[in-house]
Amino acid sequence: MLKGKILVVGGGIAGLTAADRLGRAGLEVVLVEKSSANGGRVAGLHRYYPRLCPPRCGLEILVNNISGLSNVDMRLQTELTGVQKNSPGIWTVTLRNTKQEADEYQLKVDGIILATGAQLYDASLIKEYGYGSLPAVITSMEFESLFRPDGPTGGRPVHPVTGKPLKRVAFIQCAGSRDKNHLPYCSGYCCAVTLKQIEYLHQSCGDIGTWVFYKDIRTPGSKEEYYRHVREEYRPVFIRGLPSSVEYEGGKLIVRAEDTLSGKKVKGDFDLVVLAAGMVPPVLPVIDGLEKDRYGFFPGHTPCDPTELRRSGIWAAGCAQQPMDVEDSVRSALSAVAQCLVKLHQQPSAYPEVNKKKCDHCGRCAKECPYGACILGPDGYPEVYPGDCRSCGICQGGCPLMCINLPGQGIKKIEDVVDRVLSGGVPQPSVLLFLCSNDAYPAWEKLTGQGGNIEGLEGVVPIPVPCIGSVNMSWINEALIGGLDGVMLAGCHPDQCHHGGGTSLAGTRLQNLRETLGRMRIEPERIYSTGITIDDTERLLGEIRRFGDLLVKMGPSPFK
Amino acid sequence: MPPKVDLKKCDGCKGENEPLCVSICPGDLLFLNEESVRAVCRSPRDCWDCMSCVKACPQGAIETKLPYQLGYYPAKLIPLMGGKRVSWTCIGQDGKVERFTYKNRN
Repeated sequence: MLKGKILVVGGGIAGLTAADRLGRAGLEVVLVEKSSANGGRVAGLHRYYPRLCPPRCGLEILVNNISGLSNVDMRLQTELTGVQKNSPGIWTVTLRNTKQEADEYQLKVDGIILATGAQLYDASLIKEYGYGSLPAVITSMEFESLFRPDGPTGGRPVHPVTGKPLKRVAFIQCAGSRDKNHLPYCSGYCCAVTLKQIEYLHQSCGDIGTWVFYKDIRTPGSKEEYYRHVREEYRPVFIRGLPSSVEYEGGKLIVRAEDTLSGKKVKGDFDLVVLAAGMVPPVLPVIDGLEKDRYGFFPGHTPCDPTELRRSGIWAAGCAQQPMDVEDSVRSALSAVAQCLVKLHQQPSAYPEVNKKKCDHCGRCAKECPYGACILGPDGYPEVYPGDCRSCGICQGGCPLMCINLPGQGIKKIEDVVDRVLSGGVPQPSVLLFLCSNDAYPAWEKLTGQGGNIEGLEGVVPIPVPCIGSVNMSWINEALIGGLDGVMLAGCHPDQCHHGGGTSLAGTRLQNLRETLGRMRIEPERIYSTGITIDDTERLLGEIRRFGDLLVKMGPSPFK
Repeated sequence: MPPKVDLKKCDGCKGENEPLCVSICPGDLLFLNEESVRAVCRSPRDCWDCMSCVKACPQGAIETKLPYQLGYYPAKLIPLMGGKRVSWTCIGQDGKVERFTYKNRN
C-alpha cells in the first residue's frame, strides 16, 4: 500500500478529480477550497459540450465518492498562503481559514497538486464592448447562469434586465483574447462554449436569431464536428470580424463591425450581447523556484511532461497549467495523479553524495538545483532527497570545492584521462569531450559506435555527463593544466535543456573561465561549447573536426 | 596589492552568509556588501597578497595586482585550480609568460 500525504489546492473539477483518485489509491489527501462550496467554475455551468449533459451529474459523483473516503479531508473556506521546503522531500504548507483572518496553521505534506483553476478576464477592460456600463452585455459565464434555477432569471432564458423573451443574441468571440492590448494568447475553450450556448438557446427559445462575431473559429479535434452540427442545425450568422463598438440605443444594443470576408460594414441590433472572454492565470502564493510561463501559467515541461514542474513534488492540473476546457482539465488532473503515484512509488534514482569533510556549506548546490531536491539541512550541510533528485548533477557542476558528486562522476575520471595524456597514451590533438547524455552522447554513439573513435581524431576522449550543467570548471582546469590541448562541451540548446538551466549555467561558468584564460595568455578558444540535438550527428562530427583543426593550428597546450 | 573584485562576475556566492573568499581570507579583509551582494575588501593596505581568495573564487572574479617590488603593471600572477594540480601563470612586466604547475595539497 502506498503511503503519503498530498495537498490538493482547489476544489474545482480538476482538484476534485485528483482528490478522488488519490483517495481511492489509498493516500491521505487534504483538499482545500478557498470558497464556501466545491465545484469551482464548473458548478456555475448549465451544460457541458458536446453532449449537453449537466455538470452536476459528474460533480455529484465525485463529491459523493470523496465524502465516502475517510482518508480525504475536504476543507472549504481554506486558502493556501505559503509553501516552503524545510526538509528534503517534505513541503510545509501554510493554510488559512478565510472566515477567520487569524486562523493560520501549517501542514507537512509529501506533494502538492495545484488545481487552482484560472480567473476569467475582466471584460470591462475592453472599453468598446461596454461590459459593466451597458445593460445586457454579459460574459459567457454569466450567460450560463441565465439557464440555471439559481440564476438571476430563475432559469428562464430571458432578457436579464427587462425579463422579456430574447429575440436576437450576439456572441462576440475573442473578447480580449489574441489581442496584444489584452490577452495575447488564445484561451482555446471559448469557441466551443459559444457553439453549445447557441445550441441550447435555440432549443429553449425556438424562434431566435443568433450572430457570432469571430476572428477564427477554433474547434480542434472532434469539436470540429460539433461546430458543423451547430452551424447546419441552427444556422447562426457568422460574421468574420470583431465589432468596433457596442452601443445602447432605444432599448437595443447596436453592434457595428466590418465583415472582413465581404469587406462590408455590418450593423445589427440585439437584445443580448455575450462576450466570450478568455482566462487569466490564478493568483498564488510565491513558491520559490517554481517556473511560470510569460503569462503566469504553469505549463510544465511541454510536450514530454506537461504536469511536471521544476519543483519535485508539485504538479499542476487544470487551468493552472493553461486555459483549457473541462475535458482537458480532467485529463490533466488524472495525469498529475499518475505522476504523483509514480513519484511515491518509484525507486530513487542515483543521487549525489556530499563529502562533509570538504564541504564548507556555501549553499551553491541548493541554490542551483533546478528541482529543489538539494537543501541545506539543520547541520548546514546539503541534503539531497533521493525521491526529488532527477540526477542532473547541476550541483556537482557548481560546487567550488567539488565535494558533491553523483556516483561514478567526479574529478577522478578527468585525472585518469590527464594521467593517460601525460604518459603519452593519447594522440594529438588531445581533446576532452563532455557530452550530455540526453542528446549529444547518443549522437556521438551513433557516429562512432560503442567505444569507437573518429578517424584522425583519436585524441578525442568522450565523457558522458547527465547534463552539461554538471561539468565542474575544475575538471576543465585540471585537463588544461594536465596538458590537454582543448576541452569541448556538447550540451543541449539553451531552451531545450531538459533540466531547464543546465546549458545556461554552464555558459556563464565557461564565460568566466574563458576570461580568466585570456588574462593568463591562453587562447580562450581552447574551450568550445556547442548545442547538439540527438540527430545532429553530422554537425557534431563537423564541429569536432573543426575544433581539432583549430587546436592543431594553435599548437600544443601551453602547459605542455 | 589588494584584491580587485570583478562586479560582473562575482555573484556573492549566491547570497551565502559567508562567501568563500570571505571565509578563506587570513586577514579577514573581505566582506559581503549586503546591498550589492558583492565581495568587498575592507582594508586594501592590509592585504598580504596571499591570493587565497583568488584561488577560492568559483567565479574567477578576483584578481590581485602584484606589489610594486615584484613587478609594475602589467605584471600578473594568475592561479588556475584543477583537482590534483594547480598552475600559476606569471606574466612579467616585459610581457614574458612563465607557467608553473604544482601538486594541489587540498
